[in-house]
Order: sequence, then C-alpha cells, then structure tokens
Amino acid sequence: MDYVLTILLPQLLHGLVFGAALGLLALGLTVIFGLLGVMNFAHGELYMLGAYAGIAVIGVTHSFWVALIAAPILVGVVGAVTEMTTLRPLYNREPLYGLILTFGLALVFREGARQIWGGDMRRILPPFTGSTPLLGMTYPNYRLFLLAASSAILLALWLFFTRTRAGIVVRAAVQDAEMLDGLGVDVRRVFTLTFAASGGLAALAGLLLAPVFTVYPQMGVEMILLAFIVVILGGMGSLGGSVVAAFVIGITQSLFSLWMNPQRVAIAIFGIMIVVLIVRPRGFAGREGVLE
Amino acid sequence: MRAFGWRAVVVFALLAALPLVPGVSRYYLLLAFDALLFGAIAMSLDLLMGYTGLVSFGHAAFYGLGAYATAILMERGVQSVWACVGFALLVVGLYALVVSYFATARRGIYFALLTLIFAEVVYTFFRYTQTFGGSDGIQGLPDATLFPGLVIDTPTRKYYLVLAYLAVAYAICRVLVASHFGRVLVAIRENEDRARFLGYNVQRYKMGACMISALLTGVAGAIYPMRSAFATPDLMLWTESGEFIISVMIGGLGTLVGPIIGGVFFTILRDKVSSIVDWYFIVIGVVLIVIVLFMPRGLLGLRRIFSRERATA
Repeated sequence: MDYVLTILLPQLLHGLVFGAALGLLALGLTVIFGLLGVMNFAHGELYMLGAYAGIAVIGVTHSFWVALIAAPILVGVVGAVTEMTTLRPLYNREPLYGLILTFGLALVFREGARQIWGGDMRRILPPFTGSTPLLGMTYPNYRLFLLAASSAILLALWLFFTRTRAGIVVRAAVQDAEMLDGLGVDVRRVFTLTFAASGGLAALAGLLLAPVFTVYPQMGVEMILLAFIVVILGGMGSLGGSVVAAFVIGITQSLFSLWMNPQRVAIAIFGIMIVVLIVRPRGFAGREGVLE
Repeated sequence: MRAFGWRAVVVFALLAALPLVPGVSRYYLLLAFDALLFGAIAMSLDLLMGYTGLVSFGHAAFYGLGAYATAILMERGVQSVWACVGFALLVVGLYALVVSYFATARRGIYFALLTLIFAEVVYTFFRYTQTFGGSDGIQGLPDATLFPGLVIDTPTRKYYLVLAYLAVAYAICRVLVASHFGRVLVAIRENEDRARFLGYNVQRYKMGACMISALLTGVAGAIYPMRSAFATPDLMLWTESGEFIISVMIGGLGTLVGPIIGGVFFTILRDKVSSIVDWYFIVIGVVLIVIVLFMPRGLLGLRRIFSRERATA
C-alpha cells in the first residue's frame, strides 16, 4: 500500500501531467498532418521557440502569466509567416517536398535560437511553488496547474472542433481540402490560420512544460519524436485518437521509468510503436485509406 | 564498362589524379574523402528516394551500424578492410532485412516514420550501451590494412580507398537502374497499384531496393572509421539521415550523379561555412528551403535550363 501511495500514484500523476502537455503538442501536429499530408519536422522547434519566447517576455514583463498569453501569439505569428512564405507554394506538389522543407525550417529555427539565446540550459521558475496534500501524498502545485490548464485547453479545443463553425471548417479541410475549396471556403486562409494556431499550441506546451523541464535549443528534437509517435498511435489525422495516445504514451513513459532506466524506456516506447504499426497500422482511430 | 559510360570514366580518372595535383594538402584530401563518402551515401539513398519514391529517414542507422562493425572488429585486433566490410555487410544486412520487411509494407509517410523509429532504437541502444563506449563511441582505432603489407595510413591511400568504393557503388547503381529491376522500381514510384496489377510483387521489389541501398550505405559506414579512427552514436542520429536527404535533394532526385554532386557540395559547404561562421546550420537550412521552393530538380536540374531542353512537366 505504501508503494502505491508513495511511488505508483505520484508517477501516475506525472504521466497524466506529461500526457496532457504532449496532447497539446500532438494535436497541432496531427491537424497539420491532415492538412498538408506531411509530418511537420519544424513543430518541435515551434515548441522550443514557445519556451524561449516565454523567457523573453518574462524578461521584459516579469510575469509568467503575461508570457503564457504573449508567447503563443508571437510563435503563432512566426507560424503564419512561415506558412505563407514557404509552405503555400508547395501545396500542389508531392508531400515529399513539404516534409523536406519543414526539415530545413527546423534547422533554421534551432540554430537561430542558439544564436539569439545561446546553447546552454535555462530554466523558467514556476509562477507559484508549494504543494498540496492529495490522496495521502503531496503533489507540487505547479504540476497540478499544468494538468488542469492542459486539460482545460484540450476540452476547449474539443468544443471548438465539434461545436463551432470554424472548427468544423478546419476538420473539413483535414478530410478534403479540395472539396472545401469547391464549397466556397477560402482554404488558403484556413491553412494559414490553422498553421498559426498549431504553432501557438506547440508554444503553449513548450512554455507550460518549461518550469518542469529545462529550456535549450535542442529540446524540440527530443520531444518531436515522441509527438510523432503519439500522432501515429492515434491514427494519423485523428484528433481524438491523438489525445488518447498522448495520455497513453505519457503514462506508459512515467510508469516504465519506475522499473527501467530512461534509455530502456525510450527503446520500450519505440518497440510498442513498431508493434502497433505492424499489428494495427492505422493506430487507435485511423481509418482505412486515409492519407497514404 | 558500357553501363559506366565514357563521361564517368573521365570523371573518375580526373578524381584519381587529384592527389597528384601540387598543393593539394592533407586537409583537402581528407575533405575530399568526406565529400565522396557523403556523395556515395546520397547516391545509395537516391535508389530509394529518386527511383522507388520512398523517403528513408533512417539511413543514418545503416551508416552508423557499418561504422560500428568496423570499430568493433578493429578494437579486437582485426584490421583487414575486407573483414570489416564483410562484417558490416552482415550486420547491416540483418538489420536492414528486418527494417525493410516491416517498412516496405507501408507507403509514403509511414515508410519514412518506420525507418526513422527503427533507427532511433539502434541509436538509443548504442548511445547507452557501455560495452560500445556509450556516448563517446569507440575511439582511437588503428589504420586498416587492404592486403598484408598495404596499410591504409596516408591521406592519399584513404582517398583512393573511398574513390574505389564510389566507383564500385556507382557501377552497381548504374547497372541496377538500367536493368529490368530498376525499371520496375520506377514503375512502382509512378504508380504502385498499376505495377501490382501488372503482376509484380511490389513489396519484394521495394524490399530489394531498400536492402541494396542499405548495404551500400553500410559499406560507406564501414569505410568511415578507416579515416576518422572512431565510431560514435552521433553517426546514427536522425538529423544525419536528414543530411543525406538534403544531399539527394541538392543534387537532384533520381539521377545518381546528382546526389553524388549534392553530397560533395553539401560536405564542402558545411566545411567552408563552418570555418567562417558558427551558424552554418542556418545557411544549410536556407539552401535546402531555396532548393525545395525554386529548383526542385536540384543542381542537376540547372543543366536542363542551360541546355534549353527545359521540360514543361
């Protein structure tokens, strides 16, 4: 019982917290995948830029809360400009080019961040400290906030996608952009705004996780692979599937790290992923024939 | 010789004369080694990307495994080039058999991601296994011997080793591409379903292309420690795979010669730019973006523009 309370339960909560933040990252990735048919290799860099934009804003305003609003907007603007200048000309070409282009963008962003902010590890202090007694253990307040905030945003996004006209338009674009264009929707604007929003979400995840992790230019590279795995597990282009997969991966990762060292955990997760791809290639919720 | 073509013979003869040019220093010979090795890898990848239409994001694993095969043998006192290359073929072949079996069952993005994830498993394994030196890899390897008494010790000999490899690999690729096998690959790239309806076992062809490409890359990997005297897990990082892809794109997909030029160009660009500024990744990223946006046929595509046979497609 002691084991459950002092070790298993906190680790499970860690997994939930991480899974929720991962969900924010993966959701943007999966929507972009649906729109462009490519994995956005620069998504991890938008996540990283979110953390650095947060540091910059905190440096000026000394407020984490202002940064939480401003950083996603700043990164969203970067995303919109990127989409308009580099990705838009590629929509009629093979997805291969988009894939490679985002790889180039990732290089530029990563090195740009290293030039501006330097290569060393940075930290963002959590806006509040302390911990709360919970189910017989104590749990850091900031992580509880992280879980609540991420879950609230995920819920808001779910409402957006199911209840608003704009959300339905984005989902329609994910399924069949050409048809949507034929129905008289300005698809180019949908693409730009969606790209901006997905960048903003990635930035939000980056900043929310920054007080728990560390901030450095390579941080996106490590996260993006995990996010890819989440997107594949969830079934490419499936929004709900991605969120479920994010929690599965988050919890798996933190539970496994109780019993193995972190490297083995990484291999175990890759292993699960390979097995899923072989046994159930379209993930939890992917449909036959979509986006191949 | 017929598949080789007289232009290739001239180019290889000129390359073979490089160490004789006065003023070509040690440094430039070793840079030429890196450039040609990178070109050879990009060419191998072109078999998959350009001819079969499959983008592998996991070629760094084949490369790195080849390098570790050499390093592991050399650490145990085996210095023969043939033994190292043979061992690399075995190790990379076994691994590539598994990867290509599962990855070729999927198309497009799934193929790219499966190769990427398999490669990450190999990277993570070597990065954290102390038997193989962990993140430091295996360092301080001796020079390789080609035949008893012929040690590959000087930059000139190392250069000829890689040049010989490039020539053999190029001949293999040329013959393959011109063969029936190569034409089926192109048919798969153009329309996989149609190729299947014509009765071809598409997956077997894709696996074949994947295996050949992997083995050629693995041999390149086996040669690398004979110049650098080390093998590190960083050789297997997925960003390394990305650099192979960049080289193919720079040169021009589906041309074999293009990716060699692309690999050479990329290596020299990286070397030169990084000696001037420390933000060379920005330069490389921008070059890649510009190529994707404005010259999707790569450097070799420029030839068409100059020779006025500009394709309208």
